[in-house]
Amino acid sequence: MWARSGHRDFPCKECHGTALGGGVHSLKEKSMMLVHHFTESSPGRITLDERQVLEMMDNCRRCHGTEYARWISGGHSATYGAIFLNGKHNAAEQLNADCLRCHGMFYGGTIDSLVTPVSRKGPWSLRDAGRSGEPAIPCLACHRIHTEGSPASAAGYDDPGGIFYSRRPAETAAAFYDRYEKMYIRASALPPLRLREGTREVKVSDDPRGRICFQCHAPGAFHQAGSADDRTPRGVHEGLSCLACHDGHSNDAGESCINCHPAISNCGLDVTTMHTTFAEKGSPHNIHFVRCIDCHTKGIPPRRGARASGPDARERD
Amino acid sequence: MPEGSGLSRRDFIKLAALGTGALSFLPGCAPSRSREWIFLSDTDAALLGVVADRIIPPDSWPGGKENGAVRFIDTQLAGPYRRFRSDYRSGLDAMTAACSGKYGRKFESLAPQEQDSFLRAMESGALREGGWTGVSSGKFFAMLRDHVMQAYYGSPRHGGNPGYASYKMLGIDYPPLIGQNRYRL
Amino acid sequence: MKNRHVNALVVGAGAGGGVIASVLSNAGLSVVLFERGGWVSFDDHDNDELLSQRTTVLGNAFGPDDERYRRVVINEDGSTEIVYPSDGAYNNVAACVGSGTVSYGAMAWRFMAEDFTMKTTYGRVEGSTLDDWPITYADLEHCYERAEWEIGVAGDSSLNPFAAPRKKQYPMPPFAYNKEATLLESAMKRLGLHPFPIPMLRNSVPYSGRPACIRRRTCCGFACPINAKCGTHNTVIPAALSTGNCELRTNCIVSALTIDGSGKITGVEYFNGENGKEEQTADIIVIAASATETPRLLLNSTSKHFPSGVGNRFDWVGRNLQGHAYTGAFGLFEEDIFDDVGPGATLAISDFSHHNPGITGGGILANEFTRLPYLFSNIRPPRARLWGEEHKEFQRKYFRRNIQVVGPVQEMPFFDSRVQVDPAVRDSWGIPVVRLSGHRHGRDAEGCEFLSGKAEMILKEAGAFRTWRHVPGGGLSGGQHQAGTCRMGNDPRSSVTDRFGRVHDTPNVFIADASLHVTNGGFNPALTIMALGYWVGEHIASEWERGNRFS
Repeated sequence: MWARSGHRDFPCKECHGTALGGGVHSLKEKSMMLVHHFTESSPGRITLDERQVLEMMDNCRRCHGTEYARWISGGHSATYGAIFLNGKHNAAEQLNADCLRCHGMFYGGTIDSLVTPVSRKGPWSLRDAGRSGEPAIPCLACHRIHTEGSPASAAGYDDPGGIFYSRRPAETAAAFYDRYEKMYIRASALPPLRLREGTREVKVSDDPRGRICFQCHAPGAFHQAGSADDRTPRGVHEGLSCLACHDGHSNDAGESCINCHPAISNCGLDVTTMHTTFAEKGSPHNIHFVRCIDCHTKGIPPRRGARASGPDARERD
Repeated sequence: MPEGSGLSRRDFIKLAALGTGALSFLPGCAPSRSREWIFLSDTDAALLGVVADRIIPPDSWPGGKENGAVRFIDTQLAGPYRRFRSDYRSGLDAMTAACSGKYGRKFESLAPQEQDSFLRAMESGALREGGWTGVSSGKFFAMLRDHVMQAYYGSPRHGGNPGYASYKMLGIDYPPLIGQNRYRL
Repeated sequence: MKNRHVNALVVGAGAGGGVIASVLSNAGLSVVLFERGGWVSFDDHDNDELLSQRTTVLGNAFGPDDERYRRVVINEDGSTEIVYPSDGAYNNVAACVGSGTVSYGAMAWRFMAEDFTMKTTYGRVEGSTLDDWPITYADLEHCYERAEWEIGVAGDSSLNPFAAPRKKQYPMPPFAYNKEATLLESAMKRLGLHPFPIPMLRNSVPYSGRPACIRRRTCCGFACPINAKCGTHNTVIPAALSTGNCELRTNCIVSALTIDGSGKITGVEYFNGENGKEEQTADIIVIAASATETPRLLLNSTSKHFPSGVGNRFDWVGRNLQGHAYTGAFGLFEEDIFDDVGPGATLAISDFSHHNPGITGGGILANEFTRLPYLFSNIRPPRARLWGEEHKEFQRKYFRRNIQVVGPVQEMPFFDSRVQVDPAVRDSWGIPVVRLSGHRHGRDAEGCEFLSGKAEMILKEAGAFRTWRHVPGGGLSGGQHQAGTCRMGNDPRSSVTDRFGRVHDTPNVFIADASLHVTNGGFNPALTIMALGYWVGEHIASEWERGNRFS
C-alpha cells in the first residue's frame, strides 16, 4: 500500500520510528515481532500509538502548512482539555466510552483512564494533566497516509493542451479512522447516509468526503433528519455536500455563500444578510434547514420571469 | 485498563525470555517455515483457500479465500484456536490422503462439483478414505465451515473480512451511523 | 495474611450480589464484596461479534477465560467431557463486576403471581419436583419496585393486561418500536393478542446521571458504550462503594467456606489476584455466585459437620438445575425488515404466560435481539445447505428480511438435572470443578411445541412467506438463565434455604441468586434475581437492626 502511495518517498521510520528511536511503543512493537516469530504466535498489526500520531503531525505540517494552519483555526483542533474538561457539557451528560470514537480516536486507554471522575459531578481533571493541550482530533483522524496516488508534481509541458486532462482526480487520502477496528475506512467506502424526514427520504449529497462528517455528525438510530447530531442540509440547501460551504480543514463556512450565490444574484438579494443563522446566531432559520416558507410566510412568490400559475410554479413546493 | 503505552507484564516476561534464551534458536530458524503464515504451511494454506472458496464461493462478492479465511484461520491457530492445531494438522493430512485415495489427485485440481461432493462426504461422515484417526471427517468439516463463516462475517481485527466486506454485501452500515443527541441547533 | 473481620461478605458481584452488597452497606454493615473477574469496559471488546456473549467462539468478552476455567459435562450417553467457558456446554455466566448485567439484553420482567405457585396452579407434574415458592408475588412486589427504581427500568405495564399488579409505574417511558416490532404489533392485534413494549433495564431517557440509549445493534451480548444499560456495575455497586462501608475485591476466587470446630461458618478462603491464598471472616456469608457456582462452593465446603457440603444434608444442593427452553420461529419476508434500530427486541406478548390449555406455565413471546452476521450464518430453515452458493445467497437475501419471534418456556424442575463437583478435574487454582449432568423434563417439549406454534402463527399473520419453528433438544438446560440449584422452601428436607435465603442448618449463610428459584418463570430472570437480592438483603438488615447477629 505504502509503495503505491503519495508518501512513498518517505522511509517507514519517519513515522513508525525504529526500535530505539520511536518511544516505548516502537521498542515494544519491534521486539514483539521477534517474540512472535519464535513462538509461532500472531504478531497483530503494525500500528502507530497516539504518541507517534501526534508527533507525526510535525511531519504533516512540513509540507501541508496551509492546511495545518486552517485546522488550527477551526473546531476540529480542539484539545483534550477543551473537550473533556468542559464543565457545562460534563454536568449535562456523563462522559462515556463512545466519546472517544470522535474525540480521541487514537487514545490508547479508556475514558476512566483519561478523565476523572466519570460522573456528572465534577470537578473534572485529566489523569495526565500534560495531555490537556494535545489535540483530540489530529490529522490522522480523517486522513490516512498509505493511500494510492502520486505526489503532487509539475505539469508535463510536452503536451500543453493535455495538462488539464492529465489531472485525474486521484484517490484521496480522506478516510475515517475507526477506533475500534484500528483501521481506516476510505471515505468512499464509508456508509452513505440514509436520512428520512418523517417517511420522506431526504436527498443527501453523494460527496464521499461528507461521509466522514456523518460518522460523527450523525442522526439518531431511526435516521430522522435533525435528530441527534444530524446537520445534513434540508430545505433550500437539501442535497448539498457539507463541503459545499464548510472548509474541510477549518470548517469555516464564512464567505462561502458566494460560491453559489453571486453578489449580483439571480434573485437580486444579498443572501448573506438574510435572516438565518448564517447572519445571526439567534435566528430561527437555521441555515442547514431553512425553507422557502420560513421567510416567505405568506406564500412563495413565483420565480421572476415565470408565469405565476404555470406548471413550473405548481411543481415547486 | 491504564493507557497502554507501557509493556504489559505478559509482554515483559516474553521479552525477557527472548533476551535470555531465544537467541540460541536463531540457527534453527528454519527455511521450511512459511514466510507468509504462522502455523500453516504454504501447502496447507493453498488447500484451505480452495476449501474456503467452496464453503463461500466467490461471485459478485468475494469468496471465502479472498475475504481472508486463511489469514483468519492461521491467526487464530496462533491464538485462541491453538487448541485446534492438532485437529487441523491431522484433518488436513487426512483430507489430502483421502483425496488422493479417491481421485488420485490433489483437492485443488478437482472440478468444483467434485470438490463439493468430496466436502459433502466429509460433512456427512461418509468419507471412507483418508484414515481420519485424529479427528473425524464430520467434525473437521464442521470446524472448517464454522471458521470460514467466522472469518467471513466477523470483525476484520481477527484476520478475515478486510474492511468489513461482508457487511457491505449484507447492506449493514459499518461503522454504524448513530449520533448521540446533545445540543439542539 | 489476616484480613479485618467484617459484618458481611458477599461472594459474586452480579445481579443478586451487587444488590445485596448495596442493601447491607447502606444499612451500616461493613461488607466485603468478592468478584472473580474485574471491572470491564466497552473498550475491551467493543463491537466484536466473535467474542460477544451470544457467540463466544473466540472467547468470552467478559470472562471467564478458557485458560484457567473448565467444567465436566456428563453427556446423555454417559460419556464425560471436559468443556471450556467458550463452549456452549459450559453454561457460562460472565465473570466481571456486574456479571451478566453488563452484557445482557436487559429485559426487566417481573414474574407473575402464578410463577410463585406453580404446583397449586397446575397440580403435580409426574417426574418433576415442581413446587410452590415459600414466598408469593405479593411478598416480592416491593422488591421488584425497588429494583426498577434503583437500577432503572423503561416500560409501560398498562399495555400488558396480564401483568401482575403493581403499586408504582416504571421510572422511565417505554422504548419506541423498530420496524420489525411495528409489523408484528399489528399482526398480533389482528390475532386478538396484546402486544406491549418490553420493559428494559436500559435508559429510555437520561436517568441516574447516565444518558439515554442510542440504540446500537451491538447491545445484547456487549457492554454499552455510553453506559445507558443499567446493570449492578453502574448502579447499586457504585452506591455500595460510596457508602464507605463496602470493599470490592476483584479477581478473587473464593474456594470454600471456612468452618470452625463447632460447625460454625466463619468466613471464606480465597485466592487473591496474585493467586495467594487468603481468608476473610464475617458474621454473615452471602453467596451469590450463580446457579452453577453457588452449589459448587457449598459442595466444596466440607467438614465433619457438613460431610457432603454445607446445606446438603438432604442432598438438595445442586439439584433441579433449570434454565429456559427457548423456543420460537423464524419467518422470511419479501421486503426489508431490518432497520438497524437496536437492540432489536422491543415488543412482547404475555398472552401465553399462563392458563393456556396444553402448556404448564408458558412463556412470553418477543421479537429477538439483532442477529448479527455470524450468528445469522447459522440460522437456516430445516434441510437448507449450511455452506456453498445457496448459503451465501440466503445470507445476502434474507439478512435484512427475517424476523425471529422467541420466548423462554418455563421448565419443569427435574431432580436429576444437577450440579456436582467433579472428583478428579480441577481448575487452575486446584479447586474441584462443576460437573453437570441431566436433561430436561419431557413436559418442556410440549410447552415448546405450543409456544413455537404461536410464534409461527404470528409470523404468518405478519406476512412471512416462509416460516419454520425451532425447539430445543431434551438435553441439559441451564445457560445464562440457570436457576434452581439451591431452592428456597419451608421444609428443610426438600429445599436448601428458608424463605429468606438462609441455608438450613446454618444460622449465618445466605444465598441471593437464581439458585433460590423454585421455578424459573416464563420470563428472563434478571429482575427477579435483583428483587431476591433486595428480599434477602432487607431481611438481613432488619434482623441486624433488631440486634440479631446470626450466631
